Amino acid sequence: HDFHPWETVTKAAMQKYPNPMNPSVFGVDVLDRNVDQRGRLHSKRLLSTEWGLPSIVRSIIGNTRTCTYIQEHSVVDPKEKTFELQSTNITFTNMVSVDERLVYRPHPEDPEKTMLTQEAIISVKGVSLSSYLEGLMASTISSNAGKGREAMEWVIRRLNTEIEELAITARGTLRTPMAAAAVTEK
Amino acid sequence: MNSVGEGCTELKREYDQCFNRWFAEKFLKGDRSADPCSELFHKYHTCVQKAIKEKDIPIEGVEFMGPNREKADS
Repeated sequence: HDFHPWETVTKAAMQKYPNPMNPSVFGVDVLDRNVDQRGRLHSKRLLSTEWGLPSIVRSIIGNTRTCTYIQEHSVVDPKEKTFELQSTNITFTNMVSVDERLVYRPHPEDPEKTMLTQEAIISVKGVSLSSYLEGLMASTISSNAGKGREAMEWVIRRLNTEIEELAITARGTLRTPMAAAAVTEK
Repeated sequence: MNSVGEGCTELKREYDQCFNRWFAEKFLKGDRSADPCSELFHKYHTCVQKAIKEKDIPIEGVEFMGPNREKADS
């Protein structure tokens, strides 16, 4: 896989959805945004996710019960080069609570690379997790971390393609006035 | 990407485009000038606020509370 500097990863992470590795996210909305006294950008966002149940099941149990909403608070510090995200589910909180924290920063040994630290705290209400369940969640979370990197690669490639397409369009437009000038000079 | 409010997606896209440009070209490069997207955000925000209230999504800690939303005191 490729390595990318922090700015590239941060731009991509801000535009992470949609991507094929996260098909359950169907909506992303910015609730609030501001720059604080230290020049850091705070964003509060709402992620709307859908479990991906077959439509027949959804029509029986109703749409409101198949959507999970996640609230995310992120902070970008352009001086320190950190992008920190915290998210928690705000529905089904009576059953389970998934708190995730991600921090992207330049790799301490190579500024062309970005380091991500990620942690998730999962609490299931009224149930003590046996070590089997904890192990299962740990392996799911670490395989999801791989999926997260795939998702970022996909977004970065998409953004690069858009930049190339813009450059091609710009070159195409420049050619036209010169061709017109060549014709009139005859 | 869509908005949670079906009718807000177009407004969201316009705002996102403005924000993403400012974010990449100004903010991340250390330019401290404010983003030029406030008006676009306001239109989009008004739309989303309505959708969130209609769908009764329990947003926390954002100044979103309308006159008919009351937090239960325990």
